[in-house]
Amino acid sequence: MRMILRLRPYLLGLLGIAIITFPFLWLQLDPDFDNNTIKVRWAPQHGLQFFDDLLPVFVVSLLIWLGIRANRHWHWDQAAARNQTWQKSVAVWDDYWAWVAMPLVLCGPFFLSATGLGLLTNAGIYMLLALGLNITVGMTGLLVLGYAAFFAFGAYFFALTQQHLGYFPWWMAAPLAFPLGGAIGYLLGLPCLRLRGDYLAIVTLGFAEAFREIIRNLDISVAGGDQGIILKASSKFQPLWGLNRGDMCYIITALALFLAVFLVQRLYHSPVGRAWIAIRENEIAAEAVGVPVVQMKLLAFSLSAAVAAVAGVLYGAKDGFVSPALCEFNQSIMVLAMVILGGLGNSYGALLGAALLYLVPEYLKLLPSAIHDSPTLSAIVPTFVSNSLQNLSDYRLLLFGAVMVIMMLYRPQGLLGSARRKTEMRNA
Amino acid sequence: MTADSTSTLTEILVGGISRGAMYALVALGYTMVYGVLGMINFAHGEIFMIGMFACVYAIGAFSVAWGDHIMLNLTLGIMVAMIFSAAYGYANERIAYRRLRKAHVLAPLTSAIGISTFLQYFIFLTVSKDTVNFPRYYSDYLTNHHINLGSAEVTYLQLTILGLTLVIMTGLFYLINFTRLGIALRATAQDQLMASLVGIPVNRIIAFTFILGSALAAIAGVMFSMYNNVLVFDAGYRVGLKAFTAAILGGIGNIPGAVLGAMILGLTEALTTLNFGSQWDDPATFAVLMLVLMLRPRGLLGERVADKV
Repeated sequence: MRMILRLRPYLLGLLGIAIITFPFLWLQLDPDFDNNTIKVRWAPQHGLQFFDDLLPVFVVSLLIWLGIRANRHWHWDQAAARNQTWQKSVAVWDDYWAWVAMPLVLCGPFFLSATGLGLLTNAGIYMLLALGLNITVGMTGLLVLGYAAFFAFGAYFFALTQQHLGYFPWWMAAPLAFPLGGAIGYLLGLPCLRLRGDYLAIVTLGFAEAFREIIRNLDISVAGGDQGIILKASSKFQPLWGLNRGDMCYIITALALFLAVFLVQRLYHSPVGRAWIAIRENEIAAEAVGVPVVQMKLLAFSLSAAVAAVAGVLYGAKDGFVSPALCEFNQSIMVLAMVILGGLGNSYGALLGAALLYLVPEYLKLLPSAIHDSPTLSAIVPTFVSNSLQNLSDYRLLLFGAVMVIMMLYRPQGLLGSARRKTEMRNA
Repeated sequence: MTADSTSTLTEILVGGISRGAMYALVALGYTMVYGVLGMINFAHGEIFMIGMFACVYAIGAFSVAWGDHIMLNLTLGIMVAMIFSAAYGYANERIAYRRLRKAHVLAPLTSAIGISTFLQYFIFLTVSKDTVNFPRYYSDYLTNHHINLGSAEVTYLQLTILGLTLVIMTGLFYLINFTRLGIALRATAQDQLMASLVGIPVNRIIAFTFILGSALAAIAGVMFSMYNNVLVFDAGYRVGLKAFTAAILGGIGNIPGAVLGAMILGLTEALTTLNFGSQWDDPATFAVLMLVLMLRPRGLLGERVADKV
């Protein structure tokens, strides 16, 4: 009885959600074209399909929840923080582990399949984006909703210049895209960063929308319109020293990523990084102790934009094709979800988030055919499980939305939170 | 100018004002929540979209239950849409805002974005991946009949939109300025702690703000889907962006400002469509937003200057 009383608010909440989602889940619209009216049909298979497709998610979240519950007396953050020497060694390790990881990652082409390399290259570009967005959202605490616009800006800058100049390879475009992307970010940020931070979210969202519409509506000869632009072979990544094109894409993306991680980490540990964090934690206090708030915000935002523009050039050089779809809202939300899941303010968290949110759905897509091909696996795994795995990638954005809400409610610092925030929390 | 072109101009202006009226209904939701909480309700556009779909579902259900009675089904449909949107708005407040009210500014924003993405793709996956047409049988009467204003034709639908908006604005003005509830609302907006000390149920007032804004958004949603004859899962995001721009334009947190901003935006859109074609709407909206932020960042009627500490 007491159990029921304790659960009552949750049960009521569930009941409420069941009622308000009822028509959308269990009924189907049935347009009647003869009379131009509409009818509604009872269609339970519709809702059952929805829950069936999400079954793996329910199972996995139940397991995670049970795991957290079982370890609820073990406080990870505090245990890590209690061990001061460990914390110090992390700070040192923070800077040097990349040098250890680099040769390993760069050897990828020798032991990975072409499919795997392709997926990892895409993941690398997402990691670059997540890393860039993390500067603004995670470190400085400003929300950016149209981040994909800067990515698309970089890609279009590259595609259009190479079209007009004739010869304009990626290694000329990337260093130019960096300051140009930064300048666009600066110009966009200038009017709204003087004001409340929330405006930046809307302005970037509007910029993404306007940018896409402008590209789509300009004459096809100017910007390719809806069809996009196919890049010349000379501007794309070239095979070099016996490595094929796929390998080159992978290696260059990885090198760019290492460079970006190095740059961002150096900034993070510098006075600039401390200023960003001060702004995130309390803007008014930061201003009071003399942090040039507006300049620091602008710096963070234009740096984010610059990183995205470079990622756009790399994407163009890799795929050889750019289209207005690059700056869709989905893309921006996906990168934002990566940063939030991985850890706001922590570069490695952003990388982890990007890897998880890009690679897990992609591998889930591959999984059903792998199960199908292998006789042992197809004998063990029931068909409905492999079917729901197949459909799961459609649910990606739905799940991203849910992840964002749940993370904010239960673990706002993300999987790997910012170490500095952790320290502050302990001292407080 | 010939008589023909003046009539087109008048028609386009009336069209712009009716679009503006619909944006105004949505913008009110943004501006009221901002006024009370100091936070932007990013999921508001999706509440608008839920209203659109709930109305069509309700019309379909009533049509099965007792046949196609235009006025009855439409009126009840709007009411159902308001109830559903209000319920979603309340759920949004409970899930994304209430627990995060004291958290860092970024937290409620992010969770609202999460709710918004979730709802958008929930409708995408469960209702339709494509556009759904509003049942013409119900909107034809309003879109095909018109009155003549000089030489220009104004459809009944446009009149309905303008009339409804006018009635709602008056009601809202009365509610906020002359009722106990309105006083409680304004007190909460000024200082939550102080309001709770004098016995105002702050939580309930905040929930009421969300519910009221959502119900208004639902009306706008139904009108919008009749006006454009099409429902789509991402309509909320597009309209939400415009309504938000309208709210900033008028001065966010300021109720008459939101209406003024929405009207200006509707007219800008109508004139852009007239001169350059409707595909330039979004860039024009964005240009207006940037101009306002550069020239008058507090909006046309906004006056609050300092951030709350």
